[in-house]
Amino acid sequence: MRTNNKSTLSKITESRNFGLVLGLIVLLIVAAIITPSMYSLNSILNMLQNNAVYGLLAIGEMMVIITAGIDISIGATLSLTGVICCRLMAENPGVPGIVWLVLSLVIGALCGAFNGLLVGYFKMVPMIATLGTMYIFRGFSFLFSGGEWWFPHQFTEGYMAFATKKILGIPSILWILIIVFVLAILFLGYTSKGRRIYAIGTNQESAQVAGIKQPRVVFLAMTLCGMLAGLSGMLYTANYATCSYMIGDAYEMTAIAICILGGVSIVGGKGKVDGVIIGFLMMSVITYFISLLPGLSVWSDAIQGAIIIAAVALNKFTERSAEKRALKERSALI
Amino acid sequence: MSEYILELKDVVKTFGGVTALNGVHFQLKQGEIHALMGENGAGKSTFIKVITGVHQPDSGLMLLEGEKITLRSTEDSAKLGIAAIYQHVTAFPDLSVTENIFMGQEIKNKLGIYNWKLMTKRAKELIEPLSKNIDVSKPMSTLSVAQQQLVEIAKALSRDARILIMDEPTASLSRRECEELYQIAERLRDEGVSIIFITHKFEDMYRLATRVTVFRDSQYIGCWDVDKISNQKLIGEMVGRELTQMYPPKHAKIGDVVMKVNNISKEGYFKDVSFDVRKGEILALTGLVGAGRTEVCQNIFGIMTPDSGSIELEGKEVKIKSPIDALKLGIGLLPEDRQTQGLINELPIYQNVTSADMSKFIKAGKLDESAEEAKAIELCQKIQLKAKDISAPPSSLSGGNQQKVVFAKLLNCDLKVLILDEPTKGIDVGAKYSIYEIMNELTANGYAIIMVSSEMPEVLGMADRIVVMRNGRVAGQFDTEGTTQEMILEASLKQEDGRESES
Amino acid sequence: MSGEKNTNVPVRDLSVKQGFKLSKFLVSWEMVLIYILLLINVVLMVSRTNLYFSPGTIQAIIQSGMDVCPLVLGMILILMLGDIDVSVASTMIFASMATGLCCQAGMSAFVGVIVGIAAGALCGLFNGYFVAYVEMPAVIVTIATSMLFRGIVKIILDVNVLKQFPSFYTTVAWTNIAGIPLSLILFLVMGAVFVFLLQKSRFGRKLYIIGNNATCAQYSGIDVRKTKLIVFVLMGVMCGVASIFFVGRMGGSVSSTMGTGYEMTAIAICVLGGVSTNGGKGKVYGPIIATLIMAFLTYTLGLLEVDANTRKIVTGFILIIAVLIPNVNRQLIANLKLKFVYKGNKNVEALNIKTAAEVKALKATIDETKKDSAMNDADKSAKIKKCEDKIAALQKKCKEQTEIWLREQKEDERKAKERFAAK
Repeated sequence: MRTNNKSTLSKITESRNFGLVLGLIVLLIVAAIITPSMYSLNSILNMLQNNAVYGLLAIGEMMVIITAGIDISIGATLSLTGVICCRLMAENPGVPGIVWLVLSLVIGALCGAFNGLLVGYFKMVPMIATLGTMYIFRGFSFLFSGGEWWFPHQFTEGYMAFATKKILGIPSILWILIIVFVLAILFLGYTSKGRRIYAIGTNQESAQVAGIKQPRVVFLAMTLCGMLAGLSGMLYTANYATCSYMIGDAYEMTAIAICILGGVSIVGGKGKVDGVIIGFLMMSVITYFISLLPGLSVWSDAIQGAIIIAAVALNKFTERSAEKRALKERSALI
Repeated sequence: MSEYILELKDVVKTFGGVTALNGVHFQLKQGEIHALMGENGAGKSTFIKVITGVHQPDSGLMLLEGEKITLRSTEDSAKLGIAAIYQHVTAFPDLSVTENIFMGQEIKNKLGIYNWKLMTKRAKELIEPLSKNIDVSKPMSTLSVAQQQLVEIAKALSRDARILIMDEPTASLSRRECEELYQIAERLRDEGVSIIFITHKFEDMYRLATRVTVFRDSQYIGCWDVDKISNQKLIGEMVGRELTQMYPPKHAKIGDVVMKVNNISKEGYFKDVSFDVRKGEILALTGLVGAGRTEVCQNIFGIMTPDSGSIELEGKEVKIKSPIDALKLGIGLLPEDRQTQGLINELPIYQNVTSADMSKFIKAGKLDESAEEAKAIELCQKIQLKAKDISAPPSSLSGGNQQKVVFAKLLNCDLKVLILDEPTKGIDVGAKYSIYEIMNELTANGYAIIMVSSEMPEVLGMADRIVVMRNGRVAGQFDTEGTTQEMILEASLKQEDGRESES
Repeated sequence: MSGEKNTNVPVRDLSVKQGFKLSKFLVSWEMVLIYILLLINVVLMVSRTNLYFSPGTIQAIIQSGMDVCPLVLGMILILMLGDIDVSVASTMIFASMATGLCCQAGMSAFVGVIVGIAAGALCGLFNGYFVAYVEMPAVIVTIATSMLFRGIVKIILDVNVLKQFPSFYTTVAWTNIAGIPLSLILFLVMGAVFVFLLQKSRFGRKLYIIGNNATCAQYSGIDVRKTKLIVFVLMGVMCGVASIFFVGRMGGSVSSTMGTGYEMTAIAICVLGGVSTNGGKGKVYGPIIATLIMAFLTYTLGLLEVDANTRKIVTGFILIIAVLIPNVNRQLIANLKLKFVYKGNKNVEALNIKTAAEVKALKATIDETKKDSAMNDADKSAKIKKCEDKIAALQKKCKEQTEIWLREQKEDERKAKERFAAK
């Protein structure tokens, strides 16, 4: 049993996360050389705070991608939830903030459930279904906003506290993110509902024979994804204390990019929360980096697009070289 | 208490307008191994799905230890101790062995949180007696087919299965792996598990079963004691008629060498493979599943390209980089899996037939569909395809007729060498005969045929010469005359065991 | 009926072909689309008669929908492969920028157009390489390139607007020839080319084969990768062509934020036109008609003072409904009925269907009897009475049996539950 004798060290170096962490460190060093001001605790917290919604979105998107689907309507869900919460909050300033948090979860879950209905029960191609709902949600978002903007003076303290209030020196939005990460690890790794998500992603036919109700699992994954998108909508507006129907444009792309960077297989069945966390950290550093350098902001779209392609291509090439290695090992036996 | 642990009476199951089971009976005794046989499409698979609760019968009785039961899902059947190991192993390839074993009955605490540690320990305990070489933390996809089957058995055992259904478990196992499986099955029987063993191989039946039940055309035909029924009679019952002759007579003249393969190698698949095939000859390429036969064919046909070695066609060396080159040179491949590799189920038969060579139907840049249809009709009539309409989709045909469509597709090209990869796989006995007739007809017309086959009688009945492969190398070449099954088996097994003992 | 039940299919004469059936043709998807188009026209005609018949209205409606038409045609081929391209809008803007920059630099219109189309083709080549040769999912590649291509435009143009374009661009988009919009004529000409390409040529057949079963295509000697690459390049070329229509429509100017959502409209039109997103299914006629439907629909909604964002909602719903329609068929309804009305009991279902058929036959007999002039009235009413009694008896029997079976089923389930609980 040669395979078992492999040292722990070589196992670590072979894992994908190791490569990612290495990349992250290199990135941090480069960033440090170019902009030394980056390394204060404050600016790091600031960076994470402003990127936290991407982390939430990526966790949701990850669950959908593991079922071998995709959800490109999360940016629109974020916008719809943000607009509804802000509008109601501005009209009813007396209501405590927790109500809006719960409301955002509910609205997000409804949006996600609609996607889940189409994909899970009506068997629509996920890309097409969520392309459609993306426009529907974005359209409704506009209708609810009436084209209006909301500015900081309209935001209540209780509302903004969910993102900006510091607990033990760390903004609450980060605490929420950490809680979501922990819950996701527990849910996806240690509960039967979570493991079902992997099961249908890896082999639908087997899942059916094993008595797993595929529509139900897809529905669940997409609802949870929508729920997290809704939560991000509320937290995003709370964090920046501004809102319009245009927020969250193309955020789904960033979420997908984080997932792919984090090693979530686009054909389903594979992907772990820890990988996504590392992907999230990398993406945060990159976006922060771009925002720091003057004149680079017009580059952000192009860079993000390039990152996605590079990450998937990299996945492909590592897969291929692993296959080649396996063939070579087999050759020795012939 | 009833004599039977499981009894089915008059079970009917229809899908839409199609009757899959028509008044089927079945009786399983406590602690017996009961073989279930029948041609493909006889209703065996539906039968298992009814027993395991995947499908609910339209009518009929199901008795467990004499008591009536109703199964609404696989969970119900699992709770009653019924487990099935399906033909195409139904694992989750990306999930670990442990998780596969405990799928659906994970060990968790009150909050619903899994206890992975305990599950891994239990999984090890279950796997160890079956095989010592399986690492339970590895993904299922890293295991061999035989190992995956053992995991499925462990899974069944973990549920305290009292009734175990095995759907053609030996179909893709080597002989040695089969023997190991037999032993495990016997051990389970001795421990009191009742086993329904579905198989096509008479060998399995004789080795294991005490009784055999036969289905034909969705109906129950009969149940016999294994030692009281002859081979010939059993085949007769399965086919519905006595088969006097399994293989049609040959009338081809064997000519010069058409294709010669010299020392081709492909990393990870095979090494130094050489053989030749002559005009009008059927060359069988046999050996165990996984010996590299299919890969050799794919390399000749250009799906993959060999790393070294050469291929000569009519004395000239040729370079084949893709199926396009192969077809141009006159080499055609009838792929192993006709559903995914041979047919386009959504397009009409005639478009399937012309798909490999459309160039001859082009008139002024346009595809001439009536010419296509005419040619397809001509070819299909030649091989006696039974179809409603030349524009019908192949999905409406039976397995044998689907295979004929793939044959017609090859005949539409101007070929010299035909490579047939398991041409009668998944085809019922009656249709096999007509496929054999087509093959003989083709050789009589000057084609050279390379036939990959795992079925020993088919190899001996059809081929003129036999090449045996073993573990990626040619293990021996035989003229069919004077060769016996034992000789071929010996060649395909010989050194494999020696190598095992080395490591 | 009896002929079909015969399981021993004899060797039939394969050369007997099914003839043309008018009834089948009239309910084909393309015809349904034409009915929808006519319906919208009628609604518009009735509700806004003056406007509808005033000169230039129809032309304006058609012109308003033509800027996506080249994208639609290209998208048909992409969807046929079972792939998708959501970067088409970005590619179109990229191509427009290329032309605009050439013209700004003082090059001739001809060079500008060629450079624009070439830029589109280059984008398509980029997509195609990653999809076909690196074997990445088309969704991901084109999502990424839609950001990349538009990102490049943003980098180059920033907030500037390009305003120098060949003058014929606006001519294409805004003029009529003999009362027919020039853009429509060009669309139909291109459509005819695509009909030939997809439905009559070898290349098109290859697409159908690949879309249905790519592995089989490979075994049939079709170069799947090359074909995919060609289709993506063609899509890029069509994006280049679309830039002519688009820039013309926009009055000859381009900025980096224009044309968002065009990919969605193009995909929605294709899907509405009956092209399957799973690949291998559909024809060119459907999307051509659907393009017109979309133009009329958008215009009608505009007249009803529905704003652009609401129209997005409508487009989204159209996309979803168009995909869902093929799923709603007899089988689905039967399944739903089985589940909810018959409580999943197939015996009950079969009995009810059988009874319904018998009742229908008896009712037909009644109708016939009523019309039968050869019988006298007394006989007639007697016969009718007999039939009606039979119907009542049948229905009663069916109902009773159903109840018995459902009760049995419930009992079984209860027993089963107890059994499981005991374990």
